[in-house]
Amino acid sequence: MGKKYLNISYLIILFFSGCDKGISPEEQTGFSGAITFLGEWPDSVARTHLVVFKDPLNSINDFNAFNLRYVSLEIPYGTRTYKYNSADSAYVPINAGVYSYVAVAQSKTPALSLERKDWVVAGLYYAGNNITKPGVLAIPENTMVRDINIIADFNNPPPQPPGGD
Amino acid sequence: MRFLFLSIIIFPILSFAQTFSVNGVVTDTEGNPLSGVNVYLEGGEKGSAADQNGFYEIKNVPPGSHALTFSIIGYKSKKINIIIENKDLELSVSLEMAPIQSDQVIVTAGKYEQKISELPVSADVIPASELSEKNVINLKEVLRYTPGINMVEDQISIRGSSGYSRGAGTRVLTAIDGIPFYTGDTGEIIWEAVPATQIERIEIIKGAASSLYGSTAIGGVINIITKDIPEEPKTYIRTLIGLWDKPSYSQWDWSDEYRTFSGLTLGQSFRLENFGVSFSFTHLNDMNYKQSGFFNRYIGFLKSEYKFSDASSIILFANSMNHRAGNFLYWKDSRNALIPPDADQGQTTKANRLMLGLLYKLVAADNILINVRSSFYRTHWLDETSSHNSSTSRLYRTELQMNLSLSNNIMLVSGIEGVYSNVRSNIFGNPDAKVFGLYTQADFKFDFPFTASVGFRYDYSKLFSINSFSDFSPKAGLNYSLSNNLVLRSSFGTGFRAPSLAETFTSTTASGITVKPNPLLKPEKSISAEIGFNYRLNENVNLDAALFNNEFYDFIEASIDPADRLVFFNNVTRARIQGYELNSKINFFQGNLNFSLGYTYLWGRDLQKEKALKYRPRHLFYISGNYTFHNFEAGADFRYWSRVEEIDDELASFIRDGEKRVEVYVLDLRGGYNFLSLGLPLRISLNADNILNYNYVELVGNIAPIRNYSVNLELLL
Repeated sequence: MGKKYLNISYLIILFFSGCDKGISPEEQTGFSGAITFLGEWPDSVARTHLVVFKDPLNSINDFNAFNLRYVSLEIPYGTRTYKYNSADSAYVPINAGVYSYVAVAQSKTPALSLERKDWVVAGLYYAGNNITKPGVLAIPENTMVRDINIIADFNNPPPQPPGGD
Repeated sequence: MRFLFLSIIIFPILSFAQTFSVNGVVTDTEGNPLSGVNVYLEGGEKGSAADQNGFYEIKNVPPGSHALTFSIIGYKSKKINIIIENKDLELSVSLEMAPIQSDQVIVTAGKYEQKISELPVSADVIPASELSEKNVINLKEVLRYTPGINMVEDQISIRGSSGYSRGAGTRVLTAIDGIPFYTGDTGEIIWEAVPATQIERIEIIKGAASSLYGSTAIGGVINIITKDIPEEPKTYIRTLIGLWDKPSYSQWDWSDEYRTFSGLTLGQSFRLENFGVSFSFTHLNDMNYKQSGFFNRYIGFLKSEYKFSDASSIILFANSMNHRAGNFLYWKDSRNALIPPDADQGQTTKANRLMLGLLYKLVAADNILINVRSSFYRTHWLDETSSHNSSTSRLYRTELQMNLSLSNNIMLVSGIEGVYSNVRSNIFGNPDAKVFGLYTQADFKFDFPFTASVGFRYDYSKLFSINSFSDFSPKAGLNYSLSNNLVLRSSFGTGFRAPSLAETFTSTTASGITVKPNPLLKPEKSISAEIGFNYRLNENVNLDAALFNNEFYDFIEASIDPADRLVFFNNVTRARIQGYELNSKINFFQGNLNFSLGYTYLWGRDLQKEKALKYRPRHLFYISGNYTFHNFEAGADFRYWSRVEEIDDELASFIRDGEKRVEVYVLDLRGGYNFLSLGLPLRISLNADNILNYNYVELVGNIAPIRNYSVNLELLL
């Protein structure tokens, strides 16, 4: 008799453990993290975006629309901490791949310009503690790469890519 | 004729010929007094309820032969033939426990007291004990576990009658003690508005009931029966504290703190000779598991009664609710399933509701009962958003009903009803609506035993500037007891529903969705048929089955106008809902362990598009188990709804990951202890709802309640 009840209990446990959790978060391709702004925002800033380039910005010619693979929606002026997820919203969405340059870029022009001279890099993504070169961002298919965190220190801006003012 | 009518109203207390009283004490088989037992004379309208000591008294009983019935939920009904011979009769009875409750008495099906086993339609009853055991503060929590019912958020659907109409109309009539309880603008129901502590039972009629109740009852009726005012003064305190568990996925964990919910009800009731009053004050607060899903509600409830005599009484209801709540329409996306889109964050809604009801009951003669039900329902709500949408509606309603017992075997129920509502709103405009209804139903009882019921209702509706509608809704039903254990039933009827003012006149934009009015909207109609049986194998096993078919014409659904891509309500389709329902109750160990099982198969089809109707699961399965041991009780409730085949595709495409939906598996656990036997009028219960923390949606982009725990204390002094 006891064995019979044990079997029934086992079946019940098996049934419920076999149930999944129902709706789950859709795992999307992209990256997420937080941008921390330090210091006072310059008055000249008209718009701020998180941008990603496929290839390194070794020359002014690398700053072009084909190399630009991701542009976030505008980050509000004066923000101190900005949590983002590339899948949420973007002017240019990102796909899986390996990217060489991830930066917080600020423009003096209200319009979205593709002129290098209009932009200043306020913060740069570094891999781990290596601040000697821009960090590489690898996004596998169907994966959300997390903790791509960037510090934009207005008092200590990163090295600027070629072609700026 | 008019003089006759007036004489019934104005001179109610006709000189009774010499009459007598029947009184006594009702106990259980162990001699313990049973309070609340319904004691009534069949064929007439005389009745009483046993008090705290089990004492009952029915006055003004004329000499002659009568059938006296004793009934209460949880015990076998007893019918005794009595003869009054020029003196009062003292009759004490004892009732046996009957865990299988097929002989419950309800008042909703025919607007007078009838046993469920004698009805031609399917009906269900949720007793007050179930509300208490499940720590219910919102009635939809318990309705979700009723066979044949599924919910889409606050919108109820009986046997697939409703999909989701964005709160702009309902196909199930909800009433409090027979007084319809829907708002004048949208027709929506606020399930928390009636405190669970004030509820005696909830009666559910499955299937079209327009022939008695008119528009809105096209899919069925939910009638909330409130508790009688007790003879002895009572103070009631109920407090509930709950905790929402953390969500299943860390991405969904938007709050740094645990979210809680709570409820407090303070109630008092007393009687002073012919006057009795019961009132309560309730505060509900829910931080909610969803951001912007919070609410804070204050609910007042008053029921007062004055007995002019044994033959006439008047009851005044007042129900108010003040509410402030967040506005969570749908999720940001499936990775942010518990927070709304950025643009919707911080939106709140304020609402005030007040319902006043008046119930006048007059036993005009031994065989004539007159009920007058009047109500006023004012609602006001305001969206604290950039749109500043607001609406104020007033609904006035009066019904005069007469029950005439032509003999011990024929009961005639007739009535007239008038409803006027007006709305002042920036999204519905300033329309008004008028409805006039006239109904009659005759129930014939034969000795086979066999009951035949026929009736009809005529309705006339006028909605503001658009054309008037009229509708004739006939019905017929049969109930036949083949044996003591087997009862067959069948019914056939038509139903109709006039469009609500909100469905007709809404013009607004919310969260990016624009809705436009449709003054060409017509009423929808239905033809319904059902056959069923109830079989009692023995005292411990009961089986009920029903086969139903509902044909709908000019079905009203929200849809997209291809011309301008705006949402509007339209008579879109010809629909058919067929299915069957199997319910069973099984007891073990003299009823200490009992199970209820229910399965409903629904085939709801849009016959024009040849697709399933939206938001209707094809399979609904429920099982509840309850174990009682001395003062301890424990229980579990499980429900399964299959994945709905069709949803609002347009809405789903608008909401990120809006197409995500799954089948539903929800398991709730509960336990409680009653300290009454220790001399303390206290009951404590613990609940763990959605213990599997299963994530599902009833509506696009809305995760249904996640795992939560609650503790409930009830003190009755």
